This record gives sequence, C-alpha cells and structure tokens, in this order.
Amino acid sequence: MIRNIIISSTFHLVIILITAMSLPFLAKKPIDLPPIISVELIQITEKTNIPFAPKAKKIIEKVKEKEKLLSEQAPPKVVKKEKPDSIPLPEEKIQKVEKLEDKKQNPEKIDNEVKQVSEFEKDELFDPNNIAALIDKSKEDFGETTNKTDKVSQDRDKTVNNIGLSLSEEDALKAQIFGCWSIPLGLPYNENLLVRIKLKLKPDGSVIKSEILDHARMNKPGQGFYKVLAESALRAIQLCQPLRVPTTGYERWKDLQLNFDAREMLEG
Amino acid sequence: MFLRYILILFLLIPFNSFALIEVDITRGNLNPLPIAVSPLSLDSDSKSKLKTILKKDDIGAQISIVVENNLKKSGLFNPLNKDSFLQKPDIAHFKPRFEDWALIKAQALITGKVTFSDEKLRVEFRLWDVLAAKEIMALAFTTVPSNWRRVGHIITDKIYERLTGEKGYFDTRIIYVSEEGPKIKRIKKLAIMDQDGFNTKYLTLGNELVLTPRFNPTNQMVTYLSYFRNLPRVYLLDIETGIQEVVGDFPGMTFAPRFSPDGKKIIMSFAKDGNSDIYTMELENRIVERITNHPSIDTSPSYSPDGKYICFNSDRSGYQQIYIMKSDGSNVKRISFGKGLYGTPVWSPRGDLIAFTKLHKGKFYIGVMRTNGKGERLLTENFYQEAPSWSPNGRVLIFYRETKTDDKGEGFSAKLWSIDLTGYNERLVNTETDASDPSWSSLLSD
Amino acid sequence: MNLNKIFKNALLLALACLALSACAKKVSTGQMQGDVYTGTDTVEYLASGVPDRVFFATNESVLTTKSRETLRKQAAWLRKNSNINIVIEGHADERGTREYNLALGERRANAAKDYLMTYGISADRISVISYGKERPVDSGSNPLSWSKNRRSVSVKAN
Repeated sequence: MIRNIIISSTFHLVIILITAMSLPFLAKKPIDLPPIISVELIQITEKTNIPFAPKAKKIIEKVKEKEKLLSEQAPPKVVKKEKPDSIPLPEEKIQKVEKLEDKKQNPEKIDNEVKQVSEFEKDELFDPNNIAALIDKSKEDFGETTNKTDKVSQDRDKTVNNIGLSLSEEDALKAQIFGCWSIPLGLPYNENLLVRIKLKLKPDGSVIKSEILDHARMNKPGQGFYKVLAESALRAIQLCQPLRVPTTGYERWKDLQLNFDAREMLEG
Repeated sequence: MFLRYILILFLLIPFNSFALIEVDITRGNLNPLPIAVSPLSLDSDSKSKLKTILKKDDIGAQISIVVENNLKKSGLFNPLNKDSFLQKPDIAHFKPRFEDWALIKAQALITGKVTFSDEKLRVEFRLWDVLAAKEIMALAFTTVPSNWRRVGHIITDKIYERLTGEKGYFDTRIIYVSEEGPKIKRIKKLAIMDQDGFNTKYLTLGNELVLTPRFNPTNQMVTYLSYFRNLPRVYLLDIETGIQEVVGDFPGMTFAPRFSPDGKKIIMSFAKDGNSDIYTMELENRIVERITNHPSIDTSPSYSPDGKYICFNSDRSGYQQIYIMKSDGSNVKRISFGKGLYGTPVWSPRGDLIAFTKLHKGKFYIGVMRTNGKGERLLTENFYQEAPSWSPNGRVLIFYRETKTDDKGEGFSAKLWSIDLTGYNERLVNTETDASDPSWSSLLSD
Repeated sequence: MNLNKIFKNALLLALACLALSACAKKVSTGQMQGDVYTGTDTVEYLASGVPDRVFFATNESVLTTKSRETLRKQAAWLRKNSNINIVIEGHADERGTREYNLALGERRANAAKDYLMTYGISADRISVISYGKERPVDSGSNPLSWSKNRRSVSVKAN
C-alpha cells in the first residue's frame, strides 16, 4: 500500500517536474513563420552567383524541362472535376444573340425575360503598341527558348558568370513581382497552374514585349481558368514596370522568362 | 576551307547566345482584386421615365451598386470608392482614360449605359482591363424595368466568370424557413429571396410547422417537410403555381428530403417503429425504393452530382457519422473519422468535397472534407450552427446560426450566414425575419 | 535554468490540476441525475399521480428506471380508461442537427410506445410523432434546460 503511494507520488512528481521544466522551453519555441517574402532594399551584387558546375546545371534544367512538359501534356487525372460548363466564352468579337429565359422561377408570373441582345463591337481605344495586344500574338520562338539552356556546355567557363542572375538579383526581382501579382482566388487548386511568360526588356527594366509560352492552352475547353491566370500574370508585370533588374549586364537579362506558378499559394 | 569556316561559325554562335534566364514566381498576394465599378450612365429622358416606373432616382447608379455589393461580398474583389473616380460615367463608358483609373489603383473597370425604350430596359456594360488598357468583355441585356436587380446579378456573374475563371453564383435565389415568435413556439414559413436578401416572398402562411426546403435543379420545385395536420411528411411544392402535394404514401414520418441531380427522384428518410432508413421515390411513376436497411438512424441523404453515389448521416457506429454508398445502397463506407459527431453531409456541385456540420466539445463547426473523408477542414466555429448548402459553383456555403439565450431564456435568434472555402470570408446574409434551413438555387439564367 | 521560474510553473500546474478536478465532479443538482432530468418543473399529469412525460440522456433513447415507473403508471391508467387513445411526442434538445434530431425524437417516442405495449396497451391506441428540437419546453441554453427538453410526452388524442 505504502509502496504504491510512493511509486505513484514519485511518478507524479517526475511528470510535474518534466512538464514544469519544459514549459519555459515551450514558450520560447520559435514561431513557425512563413518565409519572408518582401525584401525591399537589396544591395545588388554580382558576386553571389553560385558557380555550380555547368554540367550539373545542364542536367537540372533538363529535368525541369521534362517535368514541365509532362505536367502540361498529361492533365490531372481527376477529369470528372472539369465541368462541361467551364468551356471558355466564345470570342468576344463574335456577334451573338443569346436569350436568357427566366425559367419561371418567379412566384409572380411577370414577364421576366432578360435578353442579351448583342455584344456590341469592341473598339480599340488605345495604343495598339501596348503589351495588351501581345496576348494574342503567337509563340514565335518557343522551340528556341526550350533548347537554349542545353547549349551551355562545360568548356565555356567564361560564360558561367553570365548565366542567370545572382541570388540577390533574383530575390530583388521576385520580391517586386510577388507584390504585384494578385492571384485570382477562384482558380481550381487541383490543376496545373503554371504560366510561363517570356519578356524582352529595355535596359531600364521596362517591358518591350511579353509573350505567353503555352498560348495554345488558353483556348482549350475546360481551361478557361488558364486565361484568367495568364492575364493576372500579365497584369502583375504591367503593374511592376519597370522591373527591378540589375544595373549592369543588360545582355544577360534582356530576354527573361518568368514562370508564374499559383499552385503553392492556393494549396497553402 | 569552307568546312573550317562553318566550324568556326558553329563555335561562335552558342558562345554569343546566352542562356535564357528563368525566374520562378511562386508567390503573389491573395488580396481582393481592386476594381472600379463606375455608375452606369443614364440619359435624362430614360431617367425620368424610369423614375416614374421604378420610384428610383438613378437606376444606373442603383444597378452599379448591386454589382458592387455582389463583388464585394464574394471576397475576391475590392470595389473602389466612387468618390475617387475621375471620369464621368458616360465618358468612361465610351473611352476610359486608363491612366486615371490606374492612378486610383484599379486593375479592372466596369462601365455601362442604361436606356429605356419600347417599355424595355436596356443595360449594356463593358469590362476593361486597366493595366492592359483594353476592353475584355462587352454585353447588353434587355428586360422589363422591374427586373433591374436581376440584370445587376447577371452582370456580376459575367464579370466574375471572366475574371476568376469559374462560374458565378449571383443570379440565384435562396429558399429558407422564416422564423418568428418565442423559441418554444416558433412560427415557421417557407420564404424565398434573391441571393443578396432582396425580393423576399413568403410561400406558406405559418399555420403549420415547415422545415428543410430544397430546390430541384430547375429551381421550379421545392421539396420540404411539413407538419400539415400534425402528420410530418415530405411535400412537393411548385413555386410557380403554388400547388403542394405529399410525396408518397408512407405510414409514418418522412423527412430530410432532397432531389436527385436530374430532378426525377426525391431521396428522404422514412421513420417507422423507432428506425429511420433512406428511401427514394421516382416522381413520374411514384415507385418507391428502399436504399438502406439498418436498425440505426440513417438520414440526411445527398446525391453526388453525377447521381452515382449518396452521402448520408448514420449512427450505426454508435454515434452520428458520415457515410457514402452507391446510389443503390451497396458499398456503404464510413468516411468521417475525426473527433466528435458529424451530421448534414452535402455533396458539392463540383463533386470533389462534402460539406458537413460537426459537433465537438459543445461547439458546432461547418467544414468540408474530400469524398474519401481525407483533408477535413473546419471553416467556422460557433455555439450553434448547421445545415450548409452549396452555392452553384461550389465555392461558398450558406448555413444558419442560432444564438445562445441568456439566463432568462431570452435573446434567441437564428440568422443565415455565408462563408467561402477559404474560411475567411464569413458574412451575415440579410433576411427580413429570423431564418434557418437555407437552400441555394442553381443559376437562374444558365 | 531559472529555479524561480520552475517553481512558478509547478505552482501554476498544481492550480490547474485543482481547477480541473473541481470540474470533473459530477453535476448533481437536485434536478438531474447524470444528464437525465429528474425534477418535476415541466411535468403535467394525465390523471392524478400519472405523469405525462419521461426524460432521456443526451443522444439516448434508453428508458431509465424512473421512466419505466412513470410508463407503468401510464399503462395502468390506459387500461382503466380503455376509451382513451394517446399520441406520444418525441423531442430532442437543441444540441443536435435538425434532421438527426427528428429521427432521434421518433426513436424516443417509440421506446415509450414499446414499453406501454409490453404492459398490454394495444398499438392501435398509441400513435407517435417526432418534433425533433422544434418544440422545446424550456428556452434556456444550458444543460438543465436541455435535459428538460429531451423527453417523450404522452398526450390524450381524444
């Protein structure tokens, strides 16, 4: 009996002690903060570019390329989630007469017709040189862009410095665009949400030309959300102009590809 | 010699062409999109005519307010303050000065024009991408003037779909139970209203208790539970004609009705001798089919959108849990395994989620889980709330919430609330009276 | 390690334990046993000494000893007054979803009906109706009010 009490009380004491000792630690446990996104004032240096072996880089990029292709070619298998009614609206320029009949849901039987008489002509009221027009431009040098990365080979050590942006340069650019990109919240979270946009830049970072690389996907049935996503990415670029690019090395980054991927944000 | 030349050329080309720099943008902000809803312009002639018909000063401005409120409540848009608009409505509709709109940080702009001729209201609107400086949608509608709010809802649906990539849910109605009187003797009536709380109409007088109304897919019929003559039975009501009829000829209480996705069947519970099971009745030939046969309580059935499965509530494990089965009653599988009790499962119109009510430690939660029971997410917690119903696009849930009464048993209220799948955008839905058991219609003009 | 802090934490912990053990004590005001209502506040009588209602535990439809006693009195009264038929109303408290509570009320009413039948009352004389949580007798939002509302009530039908 007494032995039991002793065992019990020691046991309890130990537990209380353990809990008590660990409490201060618990209180000091670092809060799980998401990684800091916006880095406003960054000193841009060219020296942080990590010169990893070009060969390794080549492989990495090849794998990346493959992944991308795979994910674009094979749509997610949960096909049943695509409703037939998510087919994108017909081209705006097409004149259509659509009759929206009230299906008699109104308790009072009034003439409840709402007729959509026309989509009146759209007039271009703005400077056609604007990037807007580029949404409809075709993918000129798609093949070239996908292959270029493969051309970096081992014996071109001199070019290593010219590949890519330094980490801080990249961070500065990313931070800027993160702030400009309003991700449309209605996107389906189980779809491929990657939009790749190729830019041609001026030395001051303003955009001469922007081009969506997977343009064909925009008009595919069931991919109406993709157009919305692509437009949001274009808006982000427009909003961020001029882009925060390095002050030097224009030749390196005059052509720049931005890969907008909303998946991480929408899943999280 | 020639070959050598080529060789040199080959060596030179790759040397000069730099690798294309790729930057991955994996983050953005989830802030609502800043949008400017310009009042719709209205010529003075139409204005005076419409004023006498509708008793509204400026119907153009009124329609834009309908649109603005819809967009705001969606949580996906941030309609900007009209005081900051620099351009007049008529000029903006004709030729917006994009710099002005960009200056107030608008990313999208809605303009429009209202005219009245031949006793018809004509409303046209344009949606502009401010940053790209171009028009991205333009539509016009004609209707009888009294329908002006619906035009606002349809415009919102079009804009919502164009900017989010998914269908809207604004040109819809809610059917619900209007409640009045003390808690121990509530008077309940069926009521129907627009999704934004306007145009309320009462469908029953309140002489008998009515509960759980639900729309059929065409929104013409409603099935609900009525205690007419103290016999709780499932009824069918034609909203247009007002004709009601009992569903089936059951020797006991039938309750928890819902339509099948094709609208041809009603699925419900039938209680007899202390046991509730799930039955269906085909409306055309009145054939009744028993779906479950188990000594436990089986209730709250809801079809998957393809009609192949049914989720339902059963206490066969000892407590209320959520189960799914094939529509013929085979392959019964429990899917809820979290702590607490689960009730009122409703299959989302997209098919990927099941919404439910959960009771745990004296609190009530509205949540969603995937159809295999994984990925449970609780969206809102309260003293009492239940009965979620999906918006037609599967993005928003409407449910009702009751307050705790004080020591004297007073201060009771029941209200409708909506919340979207993010769990952040929770809003009170305006109703003329207290309200419960909401059911969302499908899009009226789809 | 700051000893003072440890001591403080231990003290807090001990306090918390005390508070919890106080909560764990069974609520037994004069009117509830477990969470079944045993009072007579809301009870009406079919005849002198024949209470009209029995009470249930949360989520249960099992008759308690006291409920059985009440129902035996009702059975005796029904046998004496063979011209009287009854309706048994089943009710649930507000702490459950509406549809499930309708089924639960029906189950409770039938538990009472079955018991009366075993005491010789014909099924023809008893009908049942469930009100779920729709007709509480007490509008309070507390355990005592809820216990009063978890009930089945026998009402004269003619």
